[in-house]
Amino acid sequence: MSFNDRLTASYSGGRGPLFGLAFRTALLTLLTLGIYRFWAKTRIRKYIWSSIRLGGDTLEYTGTGLEKFLGFLVAVVVLAVYLGLVQLVLFYFGLHFVVEPQTEAEILMQMSVFYLSFFALVPLMLFARYRARRYMLARTRFRGIRFGMDKAAWGYVWRAIGHGILTFLSLGLLLPRQTFWLEKYKTDRSHYGDTRFVQGGKWTALYPAMRGYFLGFALLVASIVYIAMSRLGSADRIAVAQFLPLGLLAVFGFGFVYYRVHSFRYLTAQKTLAGAVGFLALPRTGRVLGIYIVGALVVGLIVSFIFGVIGGVFAVSVAAAENGATPGAGSIVIIAALYLVALAMLGALALVFIIQPVIAHFTETMTVLNPAALDAVRQRAHDAGADAEGFADALDLGAAV
Amino acid sequence: MTGPEGPVEAAFFDGMTARRWAARIAPAPDGLSLVILREGAAPLSWRFDRLRALADESDATRLTLTVLAETEDEAPRDPARLVVTDPAAVAWLLRTRPGLMRRDLRAGTFRKVALWLGGAVAAVVMMLYVILPGLADYLAEHLPRETEVAFGRSVMRQVEWIVSDESGADLACTDAEGLAALDAMKARLVGERDLGYEIELRVFDHEMVNAFAAPGGQVVIFRGLIDEAESAEEVAAVLGHEIGHVVARDPIRLTLRAVGSAGILSLILGDVTGGTVIAAAGEHVLQTSYTREAETAADAFAYRLLNEAGISSEPMAGFFDRIAKMTDLLPEYLSSHPLSAGRAEAARVNAAAQTATAPVLNAAEWQALRGICKD
Repeated sequence: MSFNDRLTASYSGGRGPLFGLAFRTALLTLLTLGIYRFWAKTRIRKYIWSSIRLGGDTLEYTGTGLEKFLGFLVAVVVLAVYLGLVQLVLFYFGLHFVVEPQTEAEILMQMSVFYLSFFALVPLMLFARYRARRYMLARTRFRGIRFGMDKAAWGYVWRAIGHGILTFLSLGLLLPRQTFWLEKYKTDRSHYGDTRFVQGGKWTALYPAMRGYFLGFALLVASIVYIAMSRLGSADRIAVAQFLPLGLLAVFGFGFVYYRVHSFRYLTAQKTLAGAVGFLALPRTGRVLGIYIVGALVVGLIVSFIFGVIGGVFAVSVAAAENGATPGAGSIVIIAALYLVALAMLGALALVFIIQPVIAHFTETMTVLNPAALDAVRQRAHDAGADAEGFADALDLGAAV
Repeated sequence: MTGPEGPVEAAFFDGMTARRWAARIAPAPDGLSLVILREGAAPLSWRFDRLRALADESDATRLTLTVLAETEDEAPRDPARLVVTDPAAVAWLLRTRPGLMRRDLRAGTFRKVALWLGGAVAAVVMMLYVILPGLADYLAEHLPRETEVAFGRSVMRQVEWIVSDESGADLACTDAEGLAALDAMKARLVGERDLGYEIELRVFDHEMVNAFAAPGGQVVIFRGLIDEAESAEEVAAVLGHEIGHVVARDPIRLTLRAVGSAGILSLILGDVTGGTVIAAAGEHVLQTSYTREAETAADAFAYRLLNEAGISSEPMAGFFDRIAKMTDLLPEYLSSHPLSAGRAEAARVNAAAQTATAPVLNAAEWQALRGICKD
């Protein structure tokens, strides 16, 4: 085995074609009252998958809008029954613990207890997340060979809940443990053709990726100590305290992206395809943050310009109405339509200026070691895909892509 | 591959291994199929009328070909792929093979979609209109009275807390003579009847023209309603209506129904642009359809109380006529109550059948009730 042979991936998608595709399909989604969204997402995925190249060959997305639509129907029925019954029964038994509240705190607590049925959805959300990943892999091919994932969603659900509780109780200190073991669970059940992915490494190696969080925590402690110890007047203290949340948000935001990027680097470097093919990922925190910030600015500018134009049209029509012309339902309908179109455009712009560049960056910093070993991989059987991500779509977990 | 240059280079994947084959392609002599030649493998022949290309690919200069085949895959396609990058060949294929981009739905697809769609809609409608209301009614029937009363008190605390947040003061009106008049009205209406609940009646100092019943016998009338009423009989009719809700356990029943159906519509609409607004509107229509029948039943109960106590329902008709201007702006299916015009008519019909009636309060008591919030 030689990891000296390496092949770096590339991304060939363009802004114009993707925007055209995303905007056209978003308009069709509006016209069909949302039904076309399954086809829209499928077509956008086909475009993005076919833009990811390795050694001249591209990924292929083979999902269909129709199967997503049917999967969604199944998920809606299951969720409607589950949600209805669980909410009703939980509430009914909750009623037996109600006592007359005496203080405001008790009133607030009792009101919030009735929203706890939200937690009944958590296992389904985790289930949906695993199944969505399985569906995506089952519908991805490279050189004609299917990826795939084992049917093991419920095992993922209880592990994810357990790790989530541990991370919460440890105030986030065990986050690397959660990240590592959940990723290992998913990776060890993923395949390319007949060959299994293996997640190596150890969870403690993810602590360096937590640097941003630790920095944020140190900053928080330092500022509290500074405010408490310094001989600032109370007015100055309040001024400092007002800037603190903003600064912390920035540091923890950076910490979040830093952790995502660097845990991805480590976990990818420790993955192999049955020990024969290795990977190297070198995405950069600064680049990812830069894409988000610049992208958000560009999208914000374009959208505010468009909304400005709509506002102008509205102002003109109002002025016309005041001049004695009939205001008419027509102009209101036109403005509402323009508003919806602008929203559709917002989604397409975010895809082109934020999501696609991030995917491109992660692709272009990805290297495959010993790609020659791929030739030995054989085809795997078709996976019916069960709900075709229907649960993720119904629970709004589906990302833009 | 059409011209004199002969066969064209292409990449071939056989759909069985990840190996990339160097292939040469050319049309067969009879012009009906595409021949794929590889070194070390038998030639393959794909019929032109079954030839398909992948759609929505990002690179327009290349064409990924496959072939129509009855497989169990998500689409009826052979797993083998042929990637053509030669510009002349790509152009020739696109120009002369119009069937390349065909979708090829399997037989019976439309039937399947119609069946699943119909089944899903029927299941959700069944859930929202039959199962959840039925279960909510069943649970409401079997909820111990003490629990219902405790929950009602908790709800009242929340209402007081939320409403008094704006005005800052205690809302319940406390004028002693007014409370005595209110008690007299309640006694006259209820008489010796056992309602199963202790009716805890209060007036809130708020301008809203409204009244409501919380679970477990808590009834609240807003000052605005007493101000709007022109006689004590109108207030008595409203009180009878709210007592009707209490006796039918409507507040707890409707709460359970609302809890069960919450969020189901937004589930269906998902992340559609503007979906949240549509879901909220849909939930409103759903809730109001639950409540309208309960309102009609409560009206009927109120007339029974009025008739047995010998109180005229004629003034109520006038009350509905007056508020119709405010309440009947929406069509009935969008409103939580039946239209006031219809309710006025029902009150008049009931009044016509009434024989001997006497005022529910004397003049002094009515004046005291009107001043219940003067403290």
